[in-house]
Amino acid sequence: MSAQKKKNFQIEAFKHRVVVDPKYPEKTWKILEHAIHEIYNHNASGLSFEELYRNAYNMVLHKFGEKLYSGLVTTMTSHLLEISRSIEAAQGEVFLEELNRKWADHNKALQMIRDILMYMDRTFIPSTHKTPVHELGLNLWRDVVIHSSKTQIRLRDTLLELVYRERNGEVINRGLMRNIIKMLMDLGSAVYQEDFEQHFLEVSADFYRLESQQFIESCDCGDYLKKAERRLNEEMERVSHYMDARSLDKITNVVEKEMIESHMQRLVHMENSGLVNMLVNDKYEDLGRMYNLFRRVPTGLSIVRDVMTSYIRDTGKQLVTDPERLRDPVDFVQRLLDLKDKYDEIITLAFGNDKTFQNALNSSFEYFINLNARSPEFISLFVDDKLRKGLRGVSEEDVEIVLDKVMMLFRYLQEKDVFEKYYKQHLAKRLLAGKTVSDDAERSLIVKLKTECGYQFTSKLEGMFTDMKTSEDTMQGFYASHGTELGDGPTLAVHVLTTGSWPTQPSATCNLPAEILGVCEKFRSYYLGTHTGRRLSWQTNMGTADLKATFGKGQKHELNVSTYQMCVLMLFNNADRLSYKEIEQATEIPASDLKRCLQSLACVRGKNVLRKEPMSKDIAEDDAFFFNDKFMSKLYKVKIGTVVAQRESEPENQETRQRVEEDRKPQIEAAIVRIMKSRRTLDHNNIVAEVTKQLQARFLPNPVVIKKRIESLIEREFLERDKNDRKMYRYLA
Amino acid sequence: MIDPEGIETLCSDMEVDHTDVRILMLAWKMKAEKQGYFILEEWRRGLKALRADTINKLKKALPELEKEVKRPSTFVDFYSYAFRYCLTEEKQKSIDIESICELLDLVLGSQFHAQVNLFIQYLKTQNDYKVINMDQWMGFYRFCNEISFPELSNYDPNLAWPLILDNFVEWLKAKQS
Repeated sequence: MSAQKKKNFQIEAFKHRVVVDPKYPEKTWKILEHAIHEIYNHNASGLSFEELYRNAYNMVLHKFGEKLYSGLVTTMTSHLLEISRSIEAAQGEVFLEELNRKWADHNKALQMIRDILMYMDRTFIPSTHKTPVHELGLNLWRDVVIHSSKTQIRLRDTLLELVYRERNGEVINRGLMRNIIKMLMDLGSAVYQEDFEQHFLEVSADFYRLESQQFIESCDCGDYLKKAERRLNEEMERVSHYMDARSLDKITNVVEKEMIESHMQRLVHMENSGLVNMLVNDKYEDLGRMYNLFRRVPTGLSIVRDVMTSYIRDTGKQLVTDPERLRDPVDFVQRLLDLKDKYDEIITLAFGNDKTFQNALNSSFEYFINLNARSPEFISLFVDDKLRKGLRGVSEEDVEIVLDKVMMLFRYLQEKDVFEKYYKQHLAKRLLAGKTVSDDAERSLIVKLKTECGYQFTSKLEGMFTDMKTSEDTMQGFYASHGTELGDGPTLAVHVLTTGSWPTQPSATCNLPAEILGVCEKFRSYYLGTHTGRRLSWQTNMGTADLKATFGKGQKHELNVSTYQMCVLMLFNNADRLSYKEIEQATEIPASDLKRCLQSLACVRGKNVLRKEPMSKDIAEDDAFFFNDKFMSKLYKVKIGTVVAQRESEPENQETRQRVEEDRKPQIEAAIVRIMKSRRTLDHNNIVAEVTKQLQARFLPNPVVIKKRIESLIEREFLERDKNDRKMYRYLA
Repeated sequence: MIDPEGIETLCSDMEVDHTDVRILMLAWKMKAEKQGYFILEEWRRGLKALRADTINKLKKALPELEKEVKRPSTFVDFYSYAFRYCLTEEKQKSIDIESICELLDLVLGSQFHAQVNLFIQYLKTQNDYKVINMDQWMGFYRFCNEISFPELSNYDPNLAWPLILDNFVEWLKAKQS
């Protein structure tokens, strides 16, 4: 082995051949230019990507980027010009297809070109702030092809024509549309908007303006809305199929404006088919459609709501002021409930439970219910009817439903204190006559009232129930201790009522029959024996009695009568004939009550246990009464007494009104004093406002009445006027 | 103490009718408490204030007194005094309509002729009020001063005017139409 001579390992700098060839850039460009031609001629398969890339790379590297770029522009432009001409030459249907195809080709080509020129894209272009290749390709396409004078307008018109045909029911090539429109989108939103969208919207507006005018002349409201809805859906679907999603709102706005907004008033007020007609006939589907369509337009829903509100108010107003309706309170209230149910249903099914509509309904009810001053009385009568018989045999759930509905009406009342007065009266009658269908139902309603109005409202009512219970116990005690000595005498059932809890009844004179007096006295002493310091007074106008009577041929009947009636009938145990005057003297019952009492005993068919001469309906001072031997009835038990709650007569109504007004005075004064005590000084308008606010849960105070109370308080030195500012009042401690 | 008879004598001495408003003004100057009577203290007070020590000087002081009372700053005081002077019973707070009408005429008749006449007419025809209290009395004076008459253009019933005046204005307006 010979030793090698040691050589220094040197790495020499790589010296590549300096290209001095001046034709280098031109030659290289020619290669690339040729490649671009081939690409555009669908001959790309024969090209070597790597070689082309390297050539482009070298050009850029050797500082020939400018040449490369401008060459690209020139070449591409000339190809696009050719393409543009071929598109322009396309006839009819082929136009779009040709455009579509060439666009696809261009994109493919562009991609390849971009890949080849990627180095330039990444280095030369950014540093010289030139447009990148891809974008350049799009821009050139836009400028040369799309915006060629012939093509630009033709393209737009063709697209709009297709849309028009599709709107008229023709089937068009949606895929093609999508591609073309996507092309416009790819060219930039400015192109999409200026070359297509804004014209599309304009033309659509014209189209729908015309169509809606035709429809409105020829269709009824329901049909029109169906058509409008259909068109709206169509447009939405159209956009989703072949347009930019951002056009959705724009086109729907156009349809909404032309088809709905322009014709809103006319639709709503259309005779025989407009909103009112739909409401009256419960056309839920049409109403729902109207709601959904109008909701899209500003003020659309408020128009619907306003028309509905004024219709409900009118209907309600008619209901509450119709003299026919006012004869039957129970029917009156039932109709109110039916009206509420109807509109609740409409709002739920057609208006999507919209709160603003609910509020409009509520305010309408509040408005017209309070137009009739007797609404509180009638609602109480309705409840009375239900609790006396209407709810018999009804399930607990259904009872709750009815009571909740009553509460709903109650809430609308401005004069809740009037309702309270009547409710008390009616409840008293129900309790005393033992005529309540369900104790649970009664209690349930009291609880609801308490929840709504607070403890004070119902404390007296609860007191009434307590009295009833206590009376039961008292009677048991009475008979337990006195049972034997009473023996054969009449059986007594006493309800002891605490004054203050029960509605005040002025107790009138009445001479009870001797048999009754006895046992009553025994009860009185028994009671006062166990409750010293109390005072008892017999309420003869509120009692009932069961009498056993034997008539002419031996028929026996049990008569259920009022206390007054009992007093009158018992007289006939000792006389066959009595004049009015004699009866009046003997019983000392007040004239008007006595007359009514005698009428019920002598003038009502099937209940005439007395006979009157003459046989007239009215009771005259010199009428004579006879025990009616010939009285007949199919039933053994005959009910003659009436202590049932009834609609008040006018004079009674006036009286109650007056009592309510009297009751309100101290409440107003208390409110004034409360307010002034805490505020010390306050001006007139603010006092009125505060007082109204404080009392609104019970009633709406009259400003004139408030003023009068203030003056009364000034006189009694609770308040004084401010010496300097005459509008102010001052609290006097 | 000077009793009603004595006052009558005084009036004839001064040659003034005893129902003349100037006697009331005199009572006011004296701050007399009881209608129809002047007690010594009050007498002295009044005469001293008027700088009179003879009946003649008293008589001559009357025009001056009138002028003083009619000045707006003092009239209010006189006006409210006039009402109190007529409260003869101990716990009395109001005066009957008849007397009020007379008093109004006496005290305000010359100054607010039209208003007073109409108000008196109203008071005599209405049924709501049988008496007038101090608050209403003072309210009327304010009314004459502040409200344009007979247009009533600046009257607002929503403000704190006594209710009787609200009713009066309503009555007036009904009458005018």
